[in-house]
Amino acid sequence: MSEIATTPVVSARGVTKRYKSTVAVDGLDVDIGHGITGLLGPNGAGKTTFIALVLGLRLRDAGELIVLGHDPASSGIDVRARVGYAPEHHNLPPDVHAADLVRHLGELHGLPARAAIQRANDALWQVGLGEERFRPIGTMSTGQRQRVKLAGAIVHDPELVLLDEPTDGLDPLQRDDMLALIRRVGSEFGMDIVISSHHLEEAERICDAVVILGGGSVVRAGRLSELRRDSERLIVVVDDRAPELAAALRGHGFDVAEHGETVSIVWADGVHDAVRDAVADLGVGIRRLGPERQTLEDVYMEASA
Amino acid sequence: MSSEQGARIFDVGYRSYDGPRSAPVWALVTVWKHTLQRVLGLHRSFRHKVLPAIAVLIAFLPAVVFVGITAFLPASQILNEILPSYGEYVGETTMALALFASLVAPEALCTDRRTGMLDLYLAGPLDVKRYLAAKWAAVASVMLVMTIGPQLFLLVSYTIVSAGPSLGDAPLLIVRIVVSGVGVALFYTAVAMGVSSLTTRRAVAAVATVLVLLVPQIAVGVAVESSDAPEELTLLTPSVATEFAFRVFGEARGALNDDPPIADVPTGLVVAGLAGWILLGGAVCLLSYRRQGARR
Repeated sequence: MSEIATTPVVSARGVTKRYKSTVAVDGLDVDIGHGITGLLGPNGAGKTTFIALVLGLRLRDAGELIVLGHDPASSGIDVRARVGYAPEHHNLPPDVHAADLVRHLGELHGLPARAAIQRANDALWQVGLGEERFRPIGTMSTGQRQRVKLAGAIVHDPELVLLDEPTDGLDPLQRDDMLALIRRVGSEFGMDIVISSHHLEEAERICDAVVILGGGSVVRAGRLSELRRDSERLIVVVDDRAPELAAALRGHGFDVAEHGETVSIVWADGVHDAVRDAVADLGVGIRRLGPERQTLEDVYMEASA
Repeated sequence: MSSEQGARIFDVGYRSYDGPRSAPVWALVTVWKHTLQRVLGLHRSFRHKVLPAIAVLIAFLPAVVFVGITAFLPASQILNEILPSYGEYVGETTMALALFASLVAPEALCTDRRTGMLDLYLAGPLDVKRYLAAKWAAVASVMLVMTIGPQLFLLVSYTIVSAGPSLGDAPLLIVRIVVSGVGVALFYTAVAMGVSSLTTRRAVAAVATVLVLLVPQIAVGVAVESSDAPEELTLLTPSVATEFAFRVFGEARGALNDDPPIADVPTGLVVAGLAGWILLGGAVCLLSYRRQGARR
């Protein structure tokens, strides 16, 4: 079992979902806690199916699933009333104004008419579409539509927000803006977020925790800080003469690898002193000296291997 | 604005909501209201208002004309010769109902699936049954205005010009108007919604609805009149809705159109036939949405 938090927002035990002969989710065990959690994995890993199970839109074939204290299979409507959801697709009614759509979604989730209007305007301002809120959605760019979907997901002040590929179709600048916005929703608005993505670097930038899915089961899950643990190697990036530095360190009996201007040394007693002496002897400048840090991609590759 | 003037701008940031929330079941009312606005073209451009307005106008126009006639001619002269009975007036509204069912009603279902709104709805406090119930209710609401509205208008107007029922007969007549109106409205709603659930294209739904309304009518009409096919076959045609209205009003069917004969079919079978059409429409809707992956 993979645990991310002691008070899970979503708790799954042995959850299995089959589509005829295809097993989309296979005995999934995971707890998703507070904060921003990335649901990662390649296409077909079971991310969208898991979100559908969390929303109660699909019935699981086996296992237990608790979302916000409810079983979505039997209390799907109660769960969905407290959850905000932004789907992956960009299709939205083209002739509807953004403010009208978001207001309607607010009313759908139980807000009184007057409050829905007010909060729709607020939500659209928060996502940066305040000036554009009375434009028909059909005239908006993909980036603006993604923001409209996010506004629709947060308008009713949900406890949990599910975002399915929220940066899909965005250019790099739009993607940066959207990620910053999601980070803000998670940190300032007090909502727990599950973001489904197959972009590892996005999760690395904004998530507190990740669940990596592969073949319908959890490959790795945990707080990002725990998963990206420091490795057993010391990294030295120098201005010049990296091969000579590597040779000097090997001469002192260290296990050394080099790549470009980077020298990687297996941790051992006296390694810092040896590096200091070697760079001083060679007269090269150090650009970086520190433990080798695993990226999420390293974790993913290691888990997938 | 300067601080010397005492005005300051605050960034209020995000504010959480701790006000009242309605129960999830009210989501159904929200969808009903929104769909009603969509099909009537409210909050939309003028072109979206044209077809529903024409349909409602066609439903009410004969009633307005008949009331106008009664205002100028003595009711005793025209009551049985010119003015239609309440049952016959249902026949006058079928064109409007067919127009609305084929050209306007598909908006209620097709657009949600084509534009992805269905995903947003079903990710909210709704399930497929509640969603479809709200959609049916919205379309049926307009149909009811077109079936019951003109009849009540006729009743009130006839009463004003002293051509209406007696005070004792009025309540029963109102009940008959409502029952027949509900039956006919649900029939056309079932046809429109059943067909619309099978396609995301409104144009396809429009053509298919017209075919569903016309083809059985023609085929059964030809079969019954040219051979010894049983009259009960007429229950498979839209005539079952108008015949239901005739039976509710206790009227004999006049020779006002070329509908297939159905006069000798027992009333129970007519009611069953109408219920069959409505249930079939509902079943097609549910099965279609279940097949597309939407649960419950």
